[in-house]
Amino acid sequence: MWLPALFLVVGLTLGLLTNITIPDQYSNYLSIAVLAAFDTLFGGIRAHLDGKFDDKVFITGFFFNISLAALLAFLGVQLGIDLYLAAVFAFGVRLFQNIAIIRRILIEKFNQKKNEKKSRK
Amino acid sequence: MQLRNKIIISLVCAFTGLMIAIQFQSTQEPTERDTRDLWEIRSQLQVEQKKQQQLYQQIAEMESIKDQYEAMSEQEQIDTLVDSIEELEQKAGLTDISGKGILIHINPIYVEMDTEQEYPEISPELLNRLINELNNYGATEIAIENERVINITPIRYVNGKTYVNNRALPSLPLQIKVLAANPERLLDHIEVSQSRDYFAIENLDLTAEVSDELLLPKYEGNINLDNLEVNESQETGEE
Repeated sequence: MWLPALFLVVGLTLGLLTNITIPDQYSNYLSIAVLAAFDTLFGGIRAHLDGKFDDKVFITGFFFNISLAALLAFLGVQLGIDLYLAAVFAFGVRLFQNIAIIRRILIEKFNQKKNEKKSRK
Repeated sequence: MQLRNKIIISLVCAFTGLMIAIQFQSTQEPTERDTRDLWEIRSQLQVEQKKQQQLYQQIAEMESIKDQYEAMSEQEQIDTLVDSIEELEQKAGLTDISGKGILIHINPIYVEMDTEQEYPEISPELLNRLINELNNYGATEIAIENERVINITPIRYVNGKTYVNNRALPSLPLQIKVLAANPERLLDHIEVSQSRDYFAIENLDLTAEVSDELLLPKYEGNINLDNLEVNESQETGEE
C-alpha cells in the first residue's frame, strides 16, 4: 500500500518541479479530469478491498472516465450548457460513496483484528 | 498478479499526482509585484508632490476668501458672495460672454458628379471630434449656433437630426464660435487639423477666421447634478 502513495508524491513533485501550466480556458477540462482520476482511484481501492480488483477494468475506467469527462465539458462549452456539472455531480457522488464503503470495510477489518486478539487471550 | 496490480495503481497515482500538480500551478495566480523602476517611482513622486502643491494652493485661496469674509461688514460680505456666485456662473457657462476668438463656418461642398448629391449633414461624431480638438488647442468657451457648449452638453443624433443641448441644430451652413486666449494659434491649429479632412469626407467645408469681438450666449436650461457622486476609486491606467 506504500507504493501508490509514494508514486502519488513522486507525481506531485514531478508536476511542481517541471513548472507546467495550462492555459486558463483549459483548466476546466483538467479539473474535471482530476476529479475523474480521483473517482477511478478510490473505486480501485474499494475494489481492491472487496477483492474484486481487475486491472483491465481499472485502467480502461481511468482513461475512459477522464476522456468522457473532458468530452462532456467540451460539449457543454459548445452548447452553452454547464454540462461539466453533470460530471462533477456524478463523480462527486461516487467519490463519497466509495470513500464511505472503504471506511466501513476498514472499520470491519479493524474490528475483526480486535476480536481475534481477544479470542487469543 | 499482486505486484502487477500494485504497479498499475502506482502509475495511475503518479499520473493523478501530475495532473493535480499542473492544475494547482495553473489555478494559482502569480503574486503581483511592484515592478516600477526608480525613474517611474520618481516621476510618480513628482506627480504626487505637484498634486499636494495644488491642494495647498487651493487651501490658501479658500482661507484668504474666508479671511475676507470675516474681516468685512455684512454688506461687503454680500458683495463678495455675489461676486463669487458670478464667477462660478461664468465658469459654469451660465452667463453671456464675449471676447476674442475664432469664428468657424461649416458649409456644404458641392462636387461635380453624375449622380445627384445629397445635402450634407453634420453628425454628432464629427461635432464631438471638432470640440475635442478645439479644447485640445486651447479653446476656453465654445458655442454651436447659439447653443453654448458646457461641460455636460449632450450632442446626440435623434430622428435624423443632430441635437445640441436637447435642441436640434438647423441645417447647414453652421457657425461655431470659439473663445480662446490666443485665437491666432487656435486658428493655425484648425487650419492644419485632422478635423478638416474628416469634415471633407462628409462633404463639409470648414473655414475659420479670427474675430476680435464674439458674443457667446449663455447656457439655457438647468444643470442637474443630483445624480452626481464623488468617485473615490483610484484611477487606473497611465498617468
